Formats: sequence, C-alpha cells, structure tokens
Amino acid sequence: MANVSRLESKARAIRATCLQMAFEGKEGHLSSSLTSVDILVVLYYHALRADPSRADDPHRDRIIFSKGHGCTSLYAVLADRGYVPRAALRDYNVPYGPLPNHPCEHALPLLEMSSGSLGHGLGVAAGILYGLRLKESSARAFVVMGDGECNEGSVWEAAMFAAAHHMDRLVALVDYNGMQAVGRTDEIMGHTSLAAKFEAFGWSAAVIDGHRIPEIVDALDRAPFQPGRPTAIVAKTCVGVSFMENDVLWHYRKISREELDRALAELAETPIHLET
Amino acid sequence: MRRAFAEALTEAAERDPRVIFLTGDLGYGVFDDFIARFGPRYINVGVAEAQLVNAAAGLAREGFRPVIYSIASFMTGRPFEQIRFSVGYGRLPVVIVGAGGGLCYSECGVSHHALDDYALMRLVPGMTVVAPGDPGEVRALLGQMLQLPGPSYIRIGKYGEPTYEAEAPVVLGRARMLKDGDRLAVLTTGETAPLALDALSELAGENICPILCQFHTLAPLDTQALETLHTRADTWIVVEEAYRHGALFSGVQDWLYAAGIRKRLLRLGPNEDFVLGNPRREDLRRSAGFDAPAIAKTCRAEWSAGKEPS
Repeated sequence: MANVSRLESKARAIRATCLQMAFEGKEGHLSSSLTSVDILVVLYYHALRADPSRADDPHRDRIIFSKGHGCTSLYAVLADRGYVPRAALRDYNVPYGPLPNHPCEHALPLLEMSSGSLGHGLGVAAGILYGLRLKESSARAFVVMGDGECNEGSVWEAAMFAAAHHMDRLVALVDYNGMQAVGRTDEIMGHTSLAAKFEAFGWSAAVIDGHRIPEIVDALDRAPFQPGRPTAIVAKTCVGVSFMENDVLWHYRKISREELDRALAELAETPIHLET
Repeated sequence: MRRAFAEALTEAAERDPRVIFLTGDLGYGVFDDFIARFGPRYINVGVAEAQLVNAAAGLAREGFRPVIYSIASFMTGRPFEQIRFSVGYGRLPVVIVGAGGGLCYSECGVSHHALDDYALMRLVPGMTVVAPGDPGEVRALLGQMLQLPGPSYIRIGKYGEPTYEAEAPVVLGRARMLKDGDRLAVLTTGETAPLALDALSELAGENICPILCQFHTLAPLDTQALETLHTRADTWIVVEEAYRHGALFSGVQDWLYAAGIRKRLLRLGPNEDFVLGNPRREDLRRSAGFDAPAIAKTCRAEWSAGKEPS
C-alpha cells in the first residue's frame, strides 16, 4: 500500500528542490519540470521495482525520462531516493558536472539513456522490452513523456511497434501539461485526445489527474489495463505555483531570487539539498 | 552481395546468440532461412525507419548485437536523427545496413538514389563506415563489424555482382591492395573496385600498370595505406559512386592537406546533383565518366603525362 501523505510530502519537497536548482543553475524549463513531479515521485517511491544500491541489476524495471528538458524533477527525485548524492544537486547545469540541463548517460551512467531530443524514449524502451523478453526477464519499462513530445512522428511509430508486439510491460506516462515551447498543445497540434489516439494505436489508456497521488498510484498498480496491450497514462498536470500557471514563458524563464522566495513560501517547503 | 550478406548474417547469428536482425519491411524472401532458424531474432518493424533505429538502440542496451536493414536512402538520411542521437551518442554497437546503395536503384528515381549515405554516416562520431566492393568483402567484413564496440554502417548492392580475388586479406579498417603496380594509383571504394579492375585488365596489354587499392573502410580511413601509396605513386585517381563531399575523395583530400602533401589528385564520380530521368546505372556511370572505359582513359592519359621529361 502506498503511503499517500508521505508521497505528497515528498512531492512538495521535490517541487521546492526544482525551484532552487533552477535558480542556482540559472536554467529555465521550470514549468516542464514541475508538472512531472508527482508522476516521478509515485514511480520512484511506489511503482518501480528497482534498488538504488544496485542500479545495474538486470532485473530492474527500466525508466526513461524522455522529456529531458524537464530534468530538475528527475534529478531531485534521484537524489532523494539515493541514486545520486543530494549535494550533487548543487551542481545542476554546471559544465562537465553529472547533472547537465539535458540528461546525459555519459555524465550520469545510471540513466537508461540520454534525453533532450524528443520522441526517442518510447521507441528505445520498446527495443529494451523486446530484448528483455528474449532474455526471459519480466522487468517492465516506464517512459515519462511530454504532451508536446507527442508531436513527434517517431512516438507513433514506437506506439505501433509496441502494440504489434503486445508489450504489456510498457507504460507510457504522458505529462499532459497543455503547454509546449511556443504555445498550447491543443492549439498547435490538436492534441486534445491523446488517450483516444493511443487506444486507436492498440494501447489501453487512462486519463488521470497527474497531481492526485492516489490516482497515479492506482493507474500504475492497474497497469497493464488489458493483457497484451501497452499502457498509456495521460496525466493532466499543471505547474503548481500560482504565478507560473498557464504561462508559456516559464518554459524558458529563469527564476529570480524574489520569485524563488515567493514560490518557496507558497509551497512552505525546504529544498532537499538545503536541509541540514 | 545481398545473398552474401544474408548468408554471413545467418552464420554470425549461429555463432553469436546476441545477433538480432531488424528490417524496415524490406528483403522479401532474402531472410527466409534466418527466420526459419532464429524466429524471434528476426523483427520486421514495418515502414518505420525511426523505430527501426530506436528499437535497435534499445536492444543494444540490453546486450544484443542488432543488425538493421533498409534501402540505403531510407536507412541513412531518413532516420539520421535516431542514428545520431540514439545510436551514435550512446556509442552503441548497432550494425546499419544500407541495401542498394549508390546508384543501384538508378531506374527507381531520386527517392531511391543513395549518393549521400557515406557522407552522412561519416558525420556521426565513432561510426565505422564500410564500403565493400564484392560479395566476398561483404562476407568478410560483416563478421568483423559485429565485433566492434560501437556503431557501424555498411553499404551493400543487389544480386550477382562480380567477385574478385586478391592476395591481401579483407581486414576492417585496412585498405586492400587489389593490384600492385607503380607511378599511378587508383583508389576505389564500394562497387567502383570491379570497374577499376576491368579498366586495369584493359590497360595491362598496353603495359600500363597502376596500383589499385580498394578502401572498403571509409571511416576510419586507413592513413597508413595512404602514406604507403604516397611513396609509390605521384598521381592518384579516386573513383567513387558517391557525392564528392564526404566520401573517399574528400577523406583523401583532407588527409593530404593535413599532411602537407601536394599531389596530383583526380576524382571520377557522379556530380553533386539529383539524377533525373531514371537512367540505367551503366548509362549513368558512362555519362558521369566513372565507368571502366573512363577509368582506363584517365589512367592512360596520366600514365603518358607522367612519362614526359620534367
């Protein structure tokens, strides 16, 4: 059973950490990062069958964070979960550091793959699963994607492949925050029916509130929704900081000291790498 | 070449259980034997080259040795991003096979012409680029590519290409001396080797004996062989079925420039243009001036020019 209040409290601390990292690292993509926080917390604290002390365990569940630009949330969760030292978060976006602003497997070898170029995670995960099946492993693969990322044709090539090979150990979590780099996703590419699109490609899909921990837990516990079908969880999300909502500017904007203080006060949490 | 490839692939899969083959819905009937023997180690991903490459990247991450296959034009330019990002950046041991490369499918039109495949693949850091000239080289090189720690690309032709013999073994990364001679060197790559061999047999009766060196590996380029050729021949003629930028000629030119060597360097090959009109491959080679008679003619002219007192 998931301890919902513990996960909720983790998520608040991770949000605060993302804000602090973006400020210290002088890097944008804050909104893209904040919208994924609850999904990542449930994945890493509840769903994944993986042991941080054995990152190369062949039977570990695989996770690919395909929307690489939103990586402060990933790094913060990895640090909180014990995959990387908390102190490393201070070096986010430092040249030659382990935590660049788009995840690089050469900088951080525990990643299943680098990301930053959109539309690759799902297809690579499907290849990984095919290999796992040949090796008779029952490990699963989870891919965290953006809704903007679903503009990429390669996502749908991967979706067809996964359905054709009945990959019911594959779970795509789409962070449906409604925003992409230059505008709203529904205005730019008509992405108003992602779940229906995945279903039409032979997947099972569910639309959930991407910030209600019990809903995320339930969806991940229920996957696969149907045997023989890959699972798409379309998680409707928002930024979670009042003055950043519905503003595409926060895809780019670097946060100022004043804005950071305001956001942290609103969350009433301390970033995990500042805790004493 | 395709038969040789299918046979070599089957042999490799027999030896190494990590070998797995993925096609982008091409090779009807060619891989029946492979399918019969290895079942799930054959995957047809459909007409989906991005997924062809990304699936291979995933398989390589799980310790497999994927070999991926499509028509050269669709195998390189189309999923270039997947090759660069998922395979190249990850330094993954994926063998990329471009079938019907160069002007193999000349009669199918520009969509099927692949004169830029070598150049594109040479741009990917760490990519070994292989250009066999006959079925024997395909057979010998595929097994060696499957031992590489990183990615590689091989351009193969169709069916029934001529085979040739040479004393020099086929070693990945090493240029292969097909004919010894002097003063003049013909440097070939891919399927221009048999054209040059035809030209050289025509010239033998005239006592014109150039060296013929086949660069079946374009990247990394065998600079040791270039150094040797430098001491033995003053004039080099590069013959390539590829655009002039990014294949053998430009590789040789870069090396000469970096080494500070001035040498008479000629190139025979297609122009940098889309080839319209769907001509036959032989006609195209003739009109572009890199068929066997054109190679012989160039050698003849350079041979006699070299004889004149300086």
